[in-house]
Formats: sequence, structure tokens, C-alpha cells
Amino acid sequence: MRGFAGRIWRERGGRTGVLLVALVLFIALILPFATPDPNKIDVPARFLPPSLHHPLGTDNLGRDLLARVTVGTRSALWIACVVIALSMAGGLALGVIAALSGRLVDRLVTGFCDIVSAFPSYILVFSLVALYGAGLGKLVVAIALAFLPQFARITRSQALTLRHRPFIESARLMGLPATTIIRRHVLPNIVGPVIVLASMNIPSVITTEAAMSFIGLGVQPPQTSLGTLIRDGYVFLDQSWWPIIGAVAVLAIATLGCTLLGEALRDVVDPKLRREP
Amino acid sequence: MPDPLAIEVAGVTVDFTGMRALDGVSLAVPTAGCFGIVGESGSGKSTLLRTILGLQGPTRGEVRIEGVLQPHRRDFRAQARLVQPIFQDPALSLSPRRRVGQSLDEVGEALGEPRDALRARLGGVFERLGLQMPVLDRYPHQISGGQARRVAIARALLFQPRVLIADEPTAGLDVSVQGDLLNLLQEIRAATGVTLLIVSHNLAVIRLIADRVAVMQGGHIVEEGDSRSVFDAPRSDYTRTLIASWPRGQPVEATG
Repeated sequence: MRGFAGRIWRERGGRTGVLLVALVLFIALILPFATPDPNKIDVPARFLPPSLHHPLGTDNLGRDLLARVTVGTRSALWIACVVIALSMAGGLALGVIAALSGRLVDRLVTGFCDIVSAFPSYILVFSLVALYGAGLGKLVVAIALAFLPQFARITRSQALTLRHRPFIESARLMGLPATTIIRRHVLPNIVGPVIVLASMNIPSVITTEAAMSFIGLGVQPPQTSLGTLIRDGYVFLDQSWWPIIGAVAVLAIATLGCTLLGEALRDVVDPKLRREP
Repeated sequence: MPDPLAIEVAGVTVDFTGMRALDGVSLAVPTAGCFGIVGESGSGKSTLLRTILGLQGPTRGEVRIEGVLQPHRRDFRAQARLVQPIFQDPALSLSPRRRVGQSLDEVGEALGEPRDALRARLGGVFERLGLQMPVLDRYPHQISGGQARRVAIARALLFQPRVLIADEPTAGLDVSVQGDLLNLLQEIRAATGVTLLIVSHNLAVIRLIADRVAVMQGGHIVEEGDSRSVFDAPRSDYTRTLIASWPRGQPVEATG
């Protein structure tokens, strides 16, 4: 594994990605211990510019923005992880089932994926939330559904090529149960590209969640996410522009860092996936 | 009393999109002999083998193993004790992410046999195949091609199958190693009474090891009979052409 991490670190993009992701993790996980209560209202201290006491200034209710950004970052990361875990698990299951269960099931699953991915992801998430109502849980499920087809497709194509490999056919002819073959022989040989896809999708998930929360369809106050922070700041943009700076910066750093790290991971795990410039 | 026919194929047709790979093939493989299927690439011999193994469903026709009609969706768990394959590239038939020992332990899992009992049997099989125990701790890419081939054979033998089906068992081997391998297969057959079904494009190999031969061309069996009569007095034009095109001076006797 040292060689694996080393290869990511040696590339400039990979190194930048690691550092930026580490910074975001620091903001989300360590910084909350050092910041004041993000919900403590102090109206006379509203719209303060950055100072030693409030490193990112204060918002329209005088709340400390650094503290609110750390909480927003944490929930954005948490949501992204849950969404990716859901769509990865669903995609792995659907992809393996499609590849190994015969033509009819394959057609159904492929058709489902084609229909879901025919919608632009924002439109799909937007419609689902409009249909079933706003709220964190529903938003997570809606975004997970929008990202699921990519995982199902890559899993299916990987499993299809594995299916006729001699070691899989040997395992079948040995009479091992299908679940054992999938768990022991199929999944370990397809997780590489799936994990790469997951890491490359994290930025899109973060921005999708931020966009939905920005228009008020996602995370609801008093819960905080990067999207709600940007919206709160946006509303009072004519009075102070400090409130949006922190959240926007973290959003930019997180998406850039995850993208760079994901690309480096892809180059290390499977150089064939690289798109030639 | 064992069924006189280890494998019986009746009127098997296999269609792929836009192409007929097997066209009404019938074949009877007697128990305890060595049956060779010979043909050039594209003749359908691999498809026939996959159909017998149950990896390929026939469009029409039936496959019987020891007299029992096989359903299109096979019960591989029951079949594993009857038929085991040796694939063309045995190294590829071992999972690349598992140690050789782990791959062999799966036999015990499939048979419901405790690991210790299996390892005890493994000693005997390894001895017969000339394999050393340290191989068990290696990954497939860490052992030689010859060792991988023997490991794959060992795994098949651990099932104590009634039929061993080998696809191009000598592909990619030196002529001297080819001879060793064929001798090994013959020894195994003599010692265990297993039926051997061997598919090869190499006439020398089939002539050396098989006592019955089927010649395939374009999805048909063009000739079937005793090895000697097929090779010495071929009845079909195709067999004659095949034998004539086989380079003279290939050291068949030297390897045997």
C-alpha cells in the first residue's frame, strides 16, 4: 500500500488533492473543537468583518461564521459519504445482478439505468424533491438515485468481462454457491474502478446537495450545510459579502481537492480509464 | 455397474448471433477411456466442450452424463463430483487474488469436507503431480506456468471426478513438457479409472493419448472411431487433408 499512496503523492495533482482534502477534513473534523457555538445569536455583532475573535466574520444574526462553516462542511461531507455509499451499494448490487442473471433481468436493469440517466441529475433530483417534499433524508435518497446508474453500469461491464474468465467458470464448475462466487471472486476484482468512480463523484454530490439546499429543497434550518450558508449570505449580500466567502471557499476547495484526488486515484488504479487530452 | 457411456451428446446445435457453432453434433464417450476431439480453430470443439460442461446452453439437443439427462440450467454442485475441467490456460483458472492454498481449500468447501481431511488427501495428489507444499502459500502469478497447470489438475483431482475434460492441455508447452503432461494424464487415468476427454488442434497429441477420436469441422463431427483406424485409414476427406497437412518429422514417437 505504501507504493500505492506513494504513486498518488508523486503526481503534482495527486499531492495537491491530498492536501486540499486533508484541509477540508481538518475544517470538518478538528476545527469544530476550537470554534464557538455555531448557533449562538448575538445580533449587535451582526455582519462583522473578519477579526481575531471571528476569523471569518459574523452573519446576519451575529453568529460566528467560521463555526458555521465547520458545521456546514461536516454535514456536506457526511451527506456526500452517505449518498455515495448508497448509490455505490445499489449500483454494485444492480450491476452484478444485471450481468449474471440472464438477458431479461439485464434488459430491465439496463433500461432502468438508461431512463434514470436520461434526466440531467439536477432535474431528476429537483423533480423527486418536488414530488416527495423537501428534507434531508429524501434529498439523500434522490441524489443517490441520480448517481446510481453510473455505478450500476461500470459494475455490470466489469462483471460481464469477468463472467467468462476461467477462474470464475472454474468456481462455478466446482459447485460453489453463486453468493460465494460473487462475494469472493467477482466483487474483489471489480471494486477498483468502482472506488475510483466514487471518489470522482464526491464533488458532484457535494455541489448537487449545496445547490438543492441553496434553493431551499435540501437541508432545512436550523441544520446547516454549505448550500444553506451560501443562501443565507446571498440574501444579505447588499449588506455584507463576508457571510458567503467562507462557505464558497470550502465548496471550491472540497470539489477541487476531491476531483484531483479522484483523478490521481484513477490513474493509479486503472490508467486505461484516463481520457487523453 | 457404471454406465457404459460417460458422456453422451445427442443432436446438439448451438447458435450464436448470426452463426451456427455446432450443428446437430452427436457423440458417445465410453467410460474409462481417453477420448480425443480434434479439429482446427473455429471447428466448434471448444463450444462442444463448453456445452458438455454446461457453461453453454444448447439451442437444441441433449447432454447426458453417466446416463443422466442434464437440464439446461445445470446443478453444478452435483455435477462437480462427476465432471471437472482443466482449462486451456490453467494459471487463469486460479483466482489472481487468492493464494493457491485458498483456491484448493475451496474444494473442501464445495464438497462439504473438513479442511484437515482435504489437506490430507492433498498430500497424495501433490505427490503424484510432483508439487511441493510451499506452493500453497504463493499467489498464482508467483508460481511457474507448469506449476499452475499441475495445481489446476490437482484441484480437479481432489473432486475425484468420473470424467476429466481438458481443453488444449498442451497448449503453450515445449514438446518435451507436452510428453510429460500427457504421460501424467495417462498415469492418472490408469490409477483412478477416470474418463479423459481431451480437446486439441494438435493431431500428434490426440494420436498419442486418445484411444477414440472424433474429428470436427465447421460445427460437425466428420469422423469418429478408434484412434488407429481414424489416423491410419481415415474415411473422411477432411481427416485425410488434416493428416496430410500435419508436418512430417514431428517427433511423435520421441515424446511417447
